[in-house]
Amino acid sequence: MKKFSLVEFSVRHPKLIVALAIIFTLALMTQFPKMKTDTNPKNMLPKTSDVRVWNDEVEKTFGLYEDMIALGIVNDKGILNQDTLGKIQRITDEILKIKGVSARDVSSFTTIDNVTVEGETLKVAPLMTAVPKTDKDLEILKKMLFENPLFINRIISKDGKTTAIYVPLEKGANGKEIADRIREIVKKEKGDEKYYVAGDPVARDTFGAEMFKLMGIFSPIAGMIMFIAIYLMFRNLSLSISMMMVAMISIIWSMGLLIGLGFPIHIMSSMSPVFLMAIATDSIHIFNEFYFRYREKKDKKTAIIETMNAVGRPVRYTALATAAGFAVLMFMHIIPVKVFGGLVAFGTIILRLLSFSFIPAILTLIKEEKIEKASSREDVELSRTTQFLRSLGSFGTHKPKATVIVGLILFVVAVIGITKINVNNNMVEWFKKNSDIRIADKILNADLGGTSLGYVVAVSKEDDYIKTPEAMRYIEGLQRHLERLPVVGKTSSVADYVKRINRVLHNDDLQYDVVPETKEMIGQYIFLFSMSAKPSDLDNVVDYPFRKANIWVQLKTWDAQAMRDVIKAVDDYKKSHPIPMEFKPAGIAYFNLVWNDAVLWDMLRGFIVAMIVVFVILVFNFRSIKWAIVGYIPLLFTILLIYGVVGFIGKDFDMPISVLSCLSLGMAVDFAIHFISRFKQKLVESSELRIESSEQLKTPNSELITNSLLWTAARPGKGIMLNAVLFASAFSVMMFAPLTPYITVGAFIVSMMMLSAIMTIIYLPALITLMQGWLFKGGLR
Amino acid sequence: MRRFLVFLVMILLPLKVFALTPDEIMKKSQAAFLYQGKDFKARVMMKLISKGGQERVRELTMLRKNFGESGGDQKYFIYFFQPADVKDMTFMVYKYPKKDDDRWLFVPAINMVRRIAAQDKRSSFVGSDFTYEDISGRDIEDDTHAISKEEKIGNRDCYVIKSTPKAADVDYSYKLSWIDKTNFLPLKEEYYDRKGELYKVFTADEIKDIKGFPTATKRTMKNLQSGHRTEVTFSKTDYNIGIEDSLFSERYLKQPPKKWIE
Repeated sequence: MKKFSLVEFSVRHPKLIVALAIIFTLALMTQFPKMKTDTNPKNMLPKTSDVRVWNDEVEKTFGLYEDMIALGIVNDKGILNQDTLGKIQRITDEILKIKGVSARDVSSFTTIDNVTVEGETLKVAPLMTAVPKTDKDLEILKKMLFENPLFINRIISKDGKTTAIYVPLEKGANGKEIADRIREIVKKEKGDEKYYVAGDPVARDTFGAEMFKLMGIFSPIAGMIMFIAIYLMFRNLSLSISMMMVAMISIIWSMGLLIGLGFPIHIMSSMSPVFLMAIATDSIHIFNEFYFRYREKKDKKTAIIETMNAVGRPVRYTALATAAGFAVLMFMHIIPVKVFGGLVAFGTIILRLLSFSFIPAILTLIKEEKIEKASSREDVELSRTTQFLRSLGSFGTHKPKATVIVGLILFVVAVIGITKINVNNNMVEWFKKNSDIRIADKILNADLGGTSLGYVVAVSKEDDYIKTPEAMRYIEGLQRHLERLPVVGKTSSVADYVKRINRVLHNDDLQYDVVPETKEMIGQYIFLFSMSAKPSDLDNVVDYPFRKANIWVQLKTWDAQAMRDVIKAVDDYKKSHPIPMEFKPAGIAYFNLVWNDAVLWDMLRGFIVAMIVVFVILVFNFRSIKWAIVGYIPLLFTILLIYGVVGFIGKDFDMPISVLSCLSLGMAVDFAIHFISRFKQKLVESSELRIESSEQLKTPNSELITNSLLWTAARPGKGIMLNAVLFASAFSVMMFAPLTPYITVGAFIVSMMMLSAIMTIIYLPALITLMQGWLFKGGLR
Repeated sequence: MRRFLVFLVMILLPLKVFALTPDEIMKKSQAAFLYQGKDFKARVMMKLISKGGQERVRELTMLRKNFGESGGDQKYFIYFFQPADVKDMTFMVYKYPKKDDDRWLFVPAINMVRRIAAQDKRSSFVGSDFTYEDISGRDIEDDTHAISKEEKIGNRDCYVIKSTPKAADVDYSYKLSWIDKTNFLPLKEEYYDRKGELYKVFTADEIKDIKGFPTATKRTMKNLQSGHRTEVTFSKTDYNIGIEDSLFSERYLKQPPKKWIE
């Protein structure tokens, strides 16, 4: 056998294997400085995807910015005083000078266009050219602010306590750097004002920075915890080190290769080091078995080779199942999902390769007396862990019906929980509640129109149609309809400008705060406006030939669901008010909805394919469909229970949770493979002892089955438990991460690993005991 | 020895005396570019082109009359042909170099003339990349001027003048102008923003001789940051056609005389 020879080769040339591994690792480590992250959700979908093409087109047509930072300024005594206004002016001036800020389109008191009438004179000018010096001037400013609907909830809150400066970013600018620069600017100002920096690019780029931290700090901490745990389990430093090395090597090889090939690190792939570290714990079965064997044989080389013979097959198949579970992700649509799948699958294969070469090599190099000392502690009968596992196993073996009934009840409850699952995703909620970003977002959403921006683009079939009173009034009506949704904070469109000019031209008469009667009037008003306003004012809301209009919809939440509500409201309005225009959603809020759905469905599809693939692997491994089904049940059960809990506690089913589904499958299957393989091996070994003369193995009797099950629960079961504990301890670190997706993943992996280990040890014995007649019908194969 | 010194002074002096100061160059340039003739008329085609290649068109007749010396007051009368829905719209500007302009607009759809406040000469002219100031000129004393180098544009020798605004409320921090040494027309201008980055470029793309006055009949202003540009073509250009003072009145804004606007 080829694998067998790799083990023998490694035992014969341990130093060569170790040296080769180290050389490869150092070579791939050189790639790490090239690492770059990509936290832009846009890149979740390929550039050519419909939604990206359409969004790019909308941005181009209306001269829109992909990214905008909002700086909220709050003064509980009201911001309309000379002191605060002076600060707004100074801060704006400073912001205009920041590199990467698109200065011409910054919206603030001193830059936003205001259309007013003074006597007979029409005026288009920035709202505040200088800080008002007298109370009278302040009153005028106040009046201008509150009578112009374009300003309310945008640059001034209704209660006059909050303003915001909107800072659009040039393409490719780093949101976090600019946000940090803005924070520095406001730090220089003294007084009662509070400042809040919010917006998608801040969240995204802060996330990227945190991701680096997580990889740099949390992965090593996870490694250290595993290291300590392994040491406590085996009391041998070299063994613990070798296991850690295997994990590190596979991480460095796979990450190094990924970076070397020029892929950026996405949020998903940033989790892969911890994943690989956890998967590496599978080699604990080798050590576990090796200790048992060594105690029995007392000869190191034989023990190594025998160990590899015993656990080789399950280790190979678990690796294959895990790798397959992740590899199917490579055939999905979402780029980071593909990369993540490929990365972890590759790492898993490396781990498996190392299990058959590096680990035997290390075991060979370790001094005999050290192993002897360490392994002498191992005794099946004495160990408390094994006693406990044996009793767990005997619970299933002796009370199989009760166990299964409890299981069925839990199953029903879990299914009810799953029906309650709410599919949603909220990028801002990826940050903790008390983080600056979450607080800033909350304040701005409470006081102003909302930080999440979506567009509804009205598309007509002929040029200049948008200038018709019919189209204008329709857009206005649609705006009012959308504003009735609780998630919508503010809408703005070309109709708002037209109404404003109409009113101003007629000496600020409120009667004229409406869409004018004729197309000529609308056309000339718009032209008049364009004569003096910033070009972007108009460009942002209508296209050049006046075929399309862009309605800005500010949302008060980053929930993907919010944009879904908007789209539905638009459809409803269109149904009840037919017009020869189409309405298409766009903008970052819409994009978040699309990629969020795409990721979820991709993961779900991946999950289903992975389930089939894993089942096929089980069938191959056990060479039996029946045994594959039995092995599958605890696995499915665990996953169902976990998602049942997700449904009950009301946690949104978001991107990180969906990633877990595939992971759980790939990992939990390991336990079933180990348990069943070793159980069957034990049966074969025992049967062979009893009926040496017989060529054909007979159907084992219940007593033999019970004993073998208890042995399996105790001995390989210990490996399973150790594996689960190690796994859980590595992932528990993620629960202290500053970003919620990592916390979620950490918490769920911990509970899932523990649960699936326990499920395996309780339910497999119960199921095997109950179904022994069916399982062993054709004899023991 | 003394003879030699006198000789030396004699050769050096004319150079010193006849070399133009940067302010003089800018004055001559202003006269050549914006004050040529007693009056001036042109049919102006403006194409506003977005980064994505979308176009908006402004077609207008521009009439200009000087009142006083070069660098002094001027009056502009503008009649719009395009876009179609603003046909008959007229626009009038009294330009005063030392104070804010007076501007009037006639809105035909409601038959109303409105004064338009114009404190910001740096705002866009009819949505184009040209500002009002780019069209009608900026007071030379608002900037400090320095010759930064001399350079050729194509085969034309140019002075390159650096003009830095004295006030801080201007959208650019300084401007470089390439002024043709023979006809003093600006062949190219570069505007640098407050961060010191180049953001707008003006080019005179075609110079024609009209009634003996070299005139830039094609010009482009490109905003490098937004990717937007405006291309302007002058046709039916003419000088000294005898525009009456009375044209520049509210009455004619409402009923522009055909002979001037066609």
